Amino acid sequence: MGEKQNLLSLEDVCIGYETPTGTVRAVVNATLSLSAGDTLGIVGESGSGKSTLAHGILRLLPKTAVVTGRMMFQDVDLLRCDAKTLKDLRWKDIAVVFQKSMNSLSPVHKVGEQIVDIYRVHVPQATKEEVYDRMRHLLSVVNLPDRVLDLYPHQLSGGMLQRISISLSLIHQPKLVIFDEATTALDVVTQGQVLSEIRRLQSEMHVTSILITHDVSVVAETCRRVAVMYAGHLMEVGPVDQVLVSPRHPYTQGLLASFPSLSGARRRLRGIPGTLPDLKAEPKGCVFAPRCPKAFDRCHESMPPAVDTGTGCTVKCHLEGSER
Amino acid sequence: MGRYLGKRSLTGLLTVIVVLVLNFFLIHLAPGDPITILAGMDNPSQELIDITKAKYGLDKPIYVQLWTYIKTLLKGDLGHSIIQARPVSQLIMERLGNTLLLTLTSAVLALVIGTALGIAASRKPGSALDNVLSLIAYVLYSMPGFWLGLMLILLFSSTLRLFPTSGMVDARASYTGIAYVLDVLKHMVLPVGTLTLIGIPGYFRITKASLAQVLKDDYNTLFLAAGMDEKKIFRKYCFRNAILPTITTFGMRLAYVIAGSATVEIVFAWPGMGRLVMSAINTRDYPLLMGVYLVTSVSVAVWMILVDIFYAIADPRIRYS
Amino acid sequence: MSTATISTNLTKRRLREFAGAFMRNRQAVIGLSLLTFILLVAILAPVLAPYDPYALIGNLLEAPSKAHPMGTDNLGRDVLSRVIYGTRVSLLIGTIAAALSGILGTSIGATAGFFGGKTDAILSEVIDIVLMIPTFFLILIVVALMGSNMLNVMVVIGLTSWPGNARLMRSQALSLRTRTFVQAARATGESEWRILFRYIIPNGIFPVVSNTTMQVATAILTEASLSFLGLGDPNLVSWGQMIFNGRTYISSAWWVAAFPGIAIVITVAAFYMIGDGLNKVLNPKLRS
Repeated sequence: MGEKQNLLSLEDVCIGYETPTGTVRAVVNATLSLSAGDTLGIVGESGSGKSTLAHGILRLLPKTAVVTGRMMFQDVDLLRCDAKTLKDLRWKDIAVVFQKSMNSLSPVHKVGEQIVDIYRVHVPQATKEEVYDRMRHLLSVVNLPDRVLDLYPHQLSGGMLQRISISLSLIHQPKLVIFDEATTALDVVTQGQVLSEIRRLQSEMHVTSILITHDVSVVAETCRRVAVMYAGHLMEVGPVDQVLVSPRHPYTQGLLASFPSLSGARRRLRGIPGTLPDLKAEPKGCVFAPRCPKAFDRCHESMPPAVDTGTGCTVKCHLEGSER
Repeated sequence: MGRYLGKRSLTGLLTVIVVLVLNFFLIHLAPGDPITILAGMDNPSQELIDITKAKYGLDKPIYVQLWTYIKTLLKGDLGHSIIQARPVSQLIMERLGNTLLLTLTSAVLALVIGTALGIAASRKPGSALDNVLSLIAYVLYSMPGFWLGLMLILLFSSTLRLFPTSGMVDARASYTGIAYVLDVLKHMVLPVGTLTLIGIPGYFRITKASLAQVLKDDYNTLFLAAGMDEKKIFRKYCFRNAILPTITTFGMRLAYVIAGSATVEIVFAWPGMGRLVMSAINTRDYPLLMGVYLVTSVSVAVWMILVDIFYAIADPRIRYS
Repeated sequence: MSTATISTNLTKRRLREFAGAFMRNRQAVIGLSLLTFILLVAILAPVLAPYDPYALIGNLLEAPSKAHPMGTDNLGRDVLSRVIYGTRVSLLIGTIAAALSGILGTSIGATAGFFGGKTDAILSEVIDIVLMIPTFFLILIVVALMGSNMLNVMVVIGLTSWPGNARLMRSQALSLRTRTFVQAARATGESEWRILFRYIIPNGIFPVVSNTTMQVATAILTEASLSFLGLGDPNLVSWGQMIFNGRTYISSAWWVAAFPGIAIVITVAAFYMIGDGLNKVLNPKLRS
């Protein structure tokens, strides 16, 4: 890395939600960078803060959220830029595909009409035909006929709507696309198809993407790099072929053990005992320590910092650099 | 959708039949002789008794009577008002226009004002404006229309002397052309104002409730992420999604335009259906009373079905299911 | 734990949660305070009223004064005393009519939703039909034909306003009958009717309660309208009738019609507020 210009870099990003009973620490000191053409998967259990992080990058968090740190997109700090800059960035540079595509379009407007409106945010004088022309090509990439544009959302299946959302996200050729649990709501067969379409887009159109998911196998199939998230912390970040093959963090090891083997060999599935900690309480030691099979004294005293392992990975674990 | 409309139409038809049968049995269950009710007089002459008996087949078995009664009604014969010495249908037709003038005007005004206020209050939930409007809505919602009418008369006619208290035209002057129209408009202000004020809270509450719902919908997030103006999202997408319940309510309210304003009309001595009903009650003119009821309930049933059909066309979710 | 205990615990827990949320709802608290006041007035009417509401004690149409804070009416009766006694009639007619509607609606709706099939198809059709019949006019005709006494008014209002409750109860029963504790009760051999009354109705009654509360308000308004049309029970002191009497003198003696109207607004608003509060507390979708 290094030579390549970072497209997105997060430095010490913290996101908290103010509630009447205290602040929920949803994301804590997240540091992460993404270069152009890269594909990053953020994986974690539900409630680990991965969606909050994605919405934070999109600046779509509710007003109760408090965000600190720096979020540089090229040379713009997403957290501090004015409304106009942000509006110009949206969809043109950063687009998103949401989980619930069923509901992410208005039920009483035709699909095409909504897409034309979205396109016109940045190209106000565009005609309907121009937009339809662009969409026709993008829809063919995800194997959809262009007649879907003249239908209402409820006339389409979940898989079709998800494909429409994916093509819609590419309409301005954005520099970054965030897939927020984009395949979670789909059945297994459709999920497989949509994933292979996403892979095709990544290789053919060189789309830089962040894929948020709770499913490690999805990351393994579609991403070059992966960030493992737990209780608001990025526990382990690095190339997929290292992190998912020889995980160094006990949490990543546990997470992988709870999924079927990637190579197809059947192993007994092991869950990680215990549950996510209360995000309102300030933990004394490592957030994973109460569930960690390898926890020792220090783990209950302080949260480990992110350590560069020298192989392109960063790991938040006291085991790193202590006895190794 | 065809099946749905078929089912609704059947319900409408059944409702009409139920209303007719209900009317028939009310006449028979009421204390006193059904002849006096059908003839519309307490002490009908022998001649009138014979005519009524023959017309409704009162000496035949009850199911034949029911059939004769329904057949007569289906022919458009709502009976004869002895007191006014005219057919009931004719009396109703004469008054209908005057009533519709009041009710339709106020229905549209209430829709527009109520919805606009609902949107205004939804912009900042919990703000002073929202609280004040909600309080006013409660008070108006709890107010009997006739009493509000009286209070408006007290304020605007008796005290401020701005508007006439009663009637539709100034009986002392015989205006024509524009002057006549202006005179009617002047007489309309208070009754229309009363009916509008009574109608506003319903639209206010519905708009507020459905907007609160719609603003939480997921497409808001998508459009926001796409850089769309919040104003544009609201105007085009939220509004269209939120307005459907309001339109339905408006449609259903229109079903009651014929008799829904009876008490307010009476307060303002408006020559409409309300006055007709009042005089029918005072003179025990049963054929007239039942005629008004039949016309009202049949038109409500028919109108409700029409609203359903319209709604099915307006909302694509129903159209294709 | 037996099925009955699970069901009862469910009800108890919901009741407790519900009472807490209800007391945090501003409308509900205002409504409840108003209703307490109105109830006190109704109960203490003989103590609070300065005069006999029927007695012709003063001059005709006397303006409000120390002796008659709300003036006197066209027969020289004290308006304040009549407003106080009118509370009793409004509350009585409102609650009995609404209760009747609640009982009818609950039993018909629960039967339709719980038994399903043909029973449901027929009852739903009946509900739809009654819902489409314009009620005010029907009430008016029945009272005109059968005579204007309080019992007729209450019964007819109750008999025409139940379909809303039936719809609410039906949808509750539809969802409750698939719940585990109902299945379990069935497996232990409890009879269908027993299940209906012990499990379905107690657990699904809440929306009906809030709707019935609102119907008290509607019934009070209906009674007032009937009285205003001259179809009120002539032997009672009713606010609607007071307005009916006062309307002729609105320009010269506004107090005769004005005060009973204010009493109606306060009473009706109290019930609407409580009903609205109940609704908001019971329907999580409306909670912000």
